[in-house]
Amino acid sequence: MQPQPATDAMPLLEAISVSKAFGVFKALQDISFSVSDGEFVSIVGPNGAGKTTLVNVVTGLLRPTAGEVRFLGRDIAGIGPVELARLGMSRAFQLVNIFPALTVRETLAVAIASRLRRVSNPFRSLQRDSVMQADAVRVAEVLGLRSKLDKVASKLSQGEKKLLDIASAFALNPAVILLDEPTSGVSTGEKHAIMEVLVTAAKAAGVRAIVQVEHDMDLVERYSHRIVALQAGSLLANMAPDAFFADPAMISAVVGTRPKL
Amino acid sequence: MIRLNGLWVLFALIAVMALLPLVASPYVLLLMLPFVGYGIALLGFNLLFGTTGLLSFGHALFLGVGAYTAAALTSKFGILSFEIILVAAALISGLVSLVIGMLCVRYTRIFFGMLTLAFGMLFHSFLFKFYAITGGDQGMRVLRPLLLGMEWRGGKTAFLTGPFYYYALMLFALLGLAMWRMTQSPFGLHLRAIRENAGKAAYVGVEIFRMRLSAFVISAVYGGIGGTILAITTGLADPELAYWTHSGNLVFMAVLGGSGTFAGPAIGALAFVVLQDFVMAITQYWRFVMGGVLVLLVIFMPQGLAGTIELLLIRRDGEG
Amino acid sequence: MTELVDVVLGGIFHAAVLFLVAAGLQLVFGVQKIVNLACGSFYALGAYFGITAVGIAIKLGMPPVLFFPVLIVAGLAIGLVGLPIERVLRTVYRRDESYQLLITFGFLLMFQDAFRYLWGATPRTMDNVYLAYGTAHFLGVRVPTYNLLVIAASLAIAALLGLFLERTKTGRIVRATAENRDMAEGLGVNASNIFALVFTVGCMLGTVGGALVVPSGAASLDMAVDLVVESFAVVVIGGLGSMRGALVGALIVGLMRASAISLMPELEMLSVYLVVVAVLILRPAGLFGKATA
Repeated sequence: MQPQPATDAMPLLEAISVSKAFGVFKALQDISFSVSDGEFVSIVGPNGAGKTTLVNVVTGLLRPTAGEVRFLGRDIAGIGPVELARLGMSRAFQLVNIFPALTVRETLAVAIASRLRRVSNPFRSLQRDSVMQADAVRVAEVLGLRSKLDKVASKLSQGEKKLLDIASAFALNPAVILLDEPTSGVSTGEKHAIMEVLVTAAKAAGVRAIVQVEHDMDLVERYSHRIVALQAGSLLANMAPDAFFADPAMISAVVGTRPKL
Repeated sequence: MIRLNGLWVLFALIAVMALLPLVASPYVLLLMLPFVGYGIALLGFNLLFGTTGLLSFGHALFLGVGAYTAAALTSKFGILSFEIILVAAALISGLVSLVIGMLCVRYTRIFFGMLTLAFGMLFHSFLFKFYAITGGDQGMRVLRPLLLGMEWRGGKTAFLTGPFYYYALMLFALLGLAMWRMTQSPFGLHLRAIRENAGKAAYVGVEIFRMRLSAFVISAVYGGIGGTILAITTGLADPELAYWTHSGNLVFMAVLGGSGTFAGPAIGALAFVVLQDFVMAITQYWRFVMGGVLVLLVIFMPQGLAGTIELLLIRRDGEG
Repeated sequence: MTELVDVVLGGIFHAAVLFLVAAGLQLVFGVQKIVNLACGSFYALGAYFGITAVGIAIKLGMPPVLFFPVLIVAGLAIGLVGLPIERVLRTVYRRDESYQLLITFGFLLMFQDAFRYLWGATPRTMDNVYLAYGTAHFLGVRVPTYNLLVIAASLAIAALLGLFLERTKTGRIVRATAENRDMAEGLGVNASNIFALVFTVGCMLGTVGGALVVPSGAASLDMAVDLVVESFAVVVIGGLGSMRGALVGALIVGLMRASAISLMPELEMLSVYLVVVAVLILRPAGLFGKATA
């Protein structure tokens, strides 16, 4: 994905002065950032900085205590996962999250069925639905899982399960996809492979923007258009990788000093 | 890989049942009728348990609703058309389950089990205590219905082992087909997704509450229909139909046959009915034996009879 | 006024017994995450065995005044039946909850016929105990002393249980295992032994409850099955996993039943179910509950 300049059009996803408090604990304080067409944004920060909370607020799972969250111009505070998926944003998680007894094909079909709203008629045949079947093959293909379509999810390798999780997020044809540490639990060698697959797949699937939470700063540097850095609930930085990595204070705040190789 | 098409297994079973009158005594046929009633109820139960992962310990409530609907219509309102009775039982079960479901379906697992048990007992209490409406512990009579508008002028046994037997089997086959279509649809797939991982299901757009409630209502409708068949067979609607141990028996049947397969629960119903009849004939302590069977079943063969057969077939196929 | 005290005391008596059973349920659920459908069977077992024990005491010529402690000892002793049951239960600990419910249901069925075999199908009563303890003056009203004794015993057991869990080393280990089994095991706790202990104590609470209640009514086959529903109501109202919930829930159920019996007997259990439904609508986790499962 070539870095593209941000357009002047309306941002896809916006956090406007978002704050979130749990009782007296202030998890997020006055965070603002936006994601526009064609962008790959990475959210970084040390553990406890509030990344997960921010993601939960920005995906409509938690209501912000103050501020707004807008997706495609709509206020999405607290709308919940189902409505979120319907509006066009999907999410994949850090811990592998699968349907153990369902095959890859069936897993994708769950998402496709939601998207196409084909659940209201309980007598409809799944197998004879050529549109759904074709779509499942398409998504599997784009993420390299085509040969595994009829394999039961619990029997896949760890990496394949990760891909399946991401694939089911793709199957919703989202405008924006949010990935929670997409390469965690994956060996270093495989990490880049997965990122490549991801970015290519996103483009092929028509995904307009990607947001990820990531700890691996190499990956962050290589793939992001912009870095949103959190520290203790506050916004530390919202800038392009070049600017971010040029500032040693930024890096040490997030990861500690980089070892000189 | 051989995939036993569950529907064909069910149809095969029904076909065997249809041929039974050629070789079996009326006693055996009368034993088979409750199996059909339970089989239908279990098709519904397993949509909730096997497919959606919700274990209800109050499902017999709907058997009771169906039975009492049949009783009230035939003996109190003089409506004898079986078709009307079926529709009424289905509608009333559906409505009752909608109300109960809205309260219970928010909860899962043990809590759901306890709640459904409580509601089942609430209904039992109502049936038992309100003598004036329900006949109390004596129950309510169920008169012989008209099948397709036709009246049977012969004896009771001839009716039950003849036209009613075949009617019930036809009903079983039709309802089985409908249930098969449902499990094979995107709707069924969403239910299975909920069972496998409800959290993830929400994130891929599955409307969990609505799906669970739908499964609950459908299972109740099947339960109500099953109940009418039971009631017409015995000629009586009895409060004990709704007692929670009766619900427990339904769970027993489902697990005995194999709740992971389509035809399993029906097979379980047959096995249970036959086993109970056999055990009752040799000892008065049949509960002890059935209880023991259940304990052993859960420990050694939790996938049930059909599940075990399926496993053996898969292993023989060498599926990796 | 007499009637009010009678009803209230009757309700509290019933609550005292219910509390014991509910506490047993909560303990087992809190630590092992198992719901024991056979809890009522232990209650009935205690009742039947209590009758047998008192029968033996009479034959041995014991003075009636000792019947109360006899019942308590009998209850505790027969609770040990929980040990072999727990051994069987062990095989399904790591499996899905539905299997645990089913296996305890299987035990329930087996118990039913065991009772039938050992004690017959007709209800058994114990007539001499209330007479042995006479009546006492309480708030200006004559009440059976036995009821007061049972209430006192139940409170004492509640206090002992609380002390055990909060103050003793084993109690702390039990609570730790309840919180996080794997971590406790990692710290060297033998979880299997703890589970055996907890389950047996839970059963004993049930059997003692049954033994104590039987003088006021009868031991019958229905007891086991009826009680499951009542104790579930207590647990839903009070909240799953909470001892305080068991206490408050038992009080509410006990008092509701007692007042329903005196005002409109048909509504006896119905009133309890209505409270359950109300709690579910208004406060789904129960009055003291933690999370909805």
